[in-house]
Amino acid sequence: MGMKRVKRALKNTVAATVAFAFAASSTAALAAECSNDTWNKVMERGKIVVGVKADYKPWGFRSENGDLVGMEIDMAKKVAEIMGVELELVAVQSSNRMQFLEQGKTDMFIATMSDRPDRREIVGIIQPNYYTSGTNVLAPKALGISSWEDLRGKPVCGKQGAFYNKIVTERYGAEVVAFTGNAEAKQALRDRKCIAWVYDDSSIGSDLASGNWDDFEMPLNSEDDNPWGLAVPLAEKNCIFGNFMSGVVFNMLQSGELIELEKKWGIQPTAFLADKKDKYGDWLANQ
Amino acid sequence: MLEGFAEFFRVLADDHPRWNFIFFHDPVQWARIVRGLYYTLVLSVACVFFSVVIGVVGAWAQGSPNRLLRGLVQGYIQFFRNTPPLVQLYFFFFALGQFTPTYSPDGWLQEPIISNVGWAIISLSFFAGAFNVEIFRAGIEAVPESTKEAASSLGFTRLQTYTEIVLPLAFRVSLPALNNNLVNLVKTTTQAFAIAVPELLYQSVSIWNDYPSAQYPTMLLLFVVYIVLVGILVIGMHRWERSMKIPGYGAAA
Amino acid sequence: MSARPIPGIDGKAATDLPVLKPFDPQGRAAHDPYMLTRMVARLNAWHVLTLFAVIALWPAVAHAQSNYTYGEAFAALWKWIPFVVQQGFLFNILISFFAMAIGTAAGAILGLMQISPSAFVRYPAAFITQLFRNSPWLVLLFIVLLAFPFEIEIFGFIIPIPAWMKAVFGLSLPIMANIAEVVRGAVQSVPSGQWEASQSLGFSRRQTLWEIILPQCFKRMIPPWMNWYAILTMATPLCSLLGVEEIVTLSRQAIEAEDNHPELLVPFFGFALLIFFAYCYPIARWTIALERRFAVKL
Repeated sequence: MGMKRVKRALKNTVAATVAFAFAASSTAALAAECSNDTWNKVMERGKIVVGVKADYKPWGFRSENGDLVGMEIDMAKKVAEIMGVELELVAVQSSNRMQFLEQGKTDMFIATMSDRPDRREIVGIIQPNYYTSGTNVLAPKALGISSWEDLRGKPVCGKQGAFYNKIVTERYGAEVVAFTGNAEAKQALRDRKCIAWVYDDSSIGSDLASGNWDDFEMPLNSEDDNPWGLAVPLAEKNCIFGNFMSGVVFNMLQSGELIELEKKWGIQPTAFLADKKDKYGDWLANQ
Repeated sequence: MLEGFAEFFRVLADDHPRWNFIFFHDPVQWARIVRGLYYTLVLSVACVFFSVVIGVVGAWAQGSPNRLLRGLVQGYIQFFRNTPPLVQLYFFFFALGQFTPTYSPDGWLQEPIISNVGWAIISLSFFAGAFNVEIFRAGIEAVPESTKEAASSLGFTRLQTYTEIVLPLAFRVSLPALNNNLVNLVKTTTQAFAIAVPELLYQSVSIWNDYPSAQYPTMLLLFVVYIVLVGILVIGMHRWERSMKIPGYGAAA
Repeated sequence: MSARPIPGIDGKAATDLPVLKPFDPQGRAAHDPYMLTRMVARLNAWHVLTLFAVIALWPAVAHAQSNYTYGEAFAALWKWIPFVVQQGFLFNILISFFAMAIGTAAGAILGLMQISPSAFVRYPAAFITQLFRNSPWLVLLFIVLLAFPFEIEIFGFIIPIPAWMKAVFGLSLPIMANIAEVVRGAVQSVPSGQWEASQSLGFSRRQTLWEIILPQCFKRMIPPWMNWYAILTMATPLCSLLGVEEIVTLSRQAIEAEDNHPELLVPFFGFALLIFFAYCYPIARWTIALERRFAVKL
């Protein structure tokens, strides 16, 4: 009787030790590739720092009491909620969002960033992409711009840090005058210092919908349609953090949550989100 | 030789992805740097010239018997000296920019009667000019009344006395302070970045935004170029100061 | 420069009588280090009111036909003022305080190193001083903000560095170099006779410096030190170009949130001008008062 109990206890101990050793070795193997520094840090301090835009209405902007609000802020809230940590938002700009992430000022960012090959070398851009936008221009109706070629040799306002500044310059010979902020660039357009404002079509679309740009139009076919990606530190792209974020984005696309957010913030519905919802659709949902 | 130089940096960029000296192996980026340097030099030279002109004219106006004129100059100095130059640039470009006459080549675009480069030159010249007025005024006050009286007794008019007697003397007295201010002005031209003047800082930021891998090399270049540029200016100014020195005045050596 | 030779300048003076008033024993009188401060201090309420009136009336003239009235623009400004001031301007002040503190501490050390008898100390110190005096503030800010880490690890503790704190470091570098020059200049402005006198009384070099020279310099350094503080404060909006949250950055974000009406630019940036002015003015008055009080006759 007593012998049996001892034996069982011994057996359990051995099993537990083996299991533990196995677990330990597997974590060790994992640790060689994945330090999970950022993920662990976030969990440890119970707070995630997310970089978002503060000058990209309605994806990320300031409410009257100074809080950051917008579609991407709602996404960040969702991430923090799932992780069970507090959320701290940091306002970033196109020209510093990657540096902030690299240097650890932010743990991740959701900041209207187009997923580009050279950017993938610097930060861990998460698949699937959560949104998309093309390049287009906001131009006065009076000018009757009808093709990208119309921009050749003309001053076109732009934003520091946008990847298509280079493309528009090289492909169409436009003279991009890049300002640090959207407000300055749009003001320069209103002051007629440039013939158009080259930016994301999604943002221009919501500007036009606001009713403040009645004399302006978005006359061109959008080019370089480019999906947006949120990013985690490059080292953690294929580790816990990256995989976790992939799951979050996937679920938001599949459940149609992003479509609802789009509606909530008065953004014109994009085909991208509808397509993804279709494609990722739950096969059992319609059985 | 030059090919080898470019090749070296191309290989370096391949081996060390954070040290892509892109401007040494990509002619397009090199052209941007050169263009940026050109605009920095244009801004510096133009601003130095106009700010000195403003200083001379302003100091002369301050000595005028007309109270209104003196008040205007004083008001100008106060406004430009007590507000951040960056906000001044915004103000000139966006607020005043709405009232400048324009011509229109295509019916909509209001072409540059004054471009953003022009506004940067105007704004920065007025900013540094406000200092220069005070600097020259102090120099002019160092010229004794009796010297001016002597000049007028020799039949010089007020303008002649100013240009031929007072100014050459005052200029020498003002030189050290003037040099300080002009060096400062050249450093301040970087702020034209805010209104998208394509000077060196703007081009550098554009390069590292387009090619994130070139960030550190471009920063390094930016820093070195400015140190060299300002260094040359400082050394040149000191030489000039020494050659213009009035014997028997100022510190020994 | 001159059309005709001036005796005593282009050639040998024919007389011993001075052509110029003896403007300065150090040769630097024309360069008035308190110029900025003096000019601010000379202002009166009338100037401020005029400035305010210009800024307030501007949009009325500028946008008379616009459908977004300047009244609405000012209402928008009024609504955003608490945010812009509390989360913006206070950070400008905070940045300027810390940058001044760090710059002063480092600058004092650097300045004293420059007057060291050892060339190994003197030359590197002079080199660092010239390096940071001659580089544009904005370039230094860019380098510090983008290239330096946001966290440092000391003995296993991770200390996060917020963006404004990095701006502090970036701005403290040129302040350090300029304060070093102030310290060096102040020490060198004490007549060498004092060094010789204390040496003859048996003081060591260190004793002379700490007990004789520096106590005299200290008061004399306060006005230029405050002058640099005003210059620093006016440089803090530069941080906005790098996205550090201060008054200009937040004004811009507020303008975006109010749908970028062009009428908003003048009220918002005008407000920024005024609040800087309101802050720098008392400092300037105080500096001038201190300068008068501490004026040392040698």
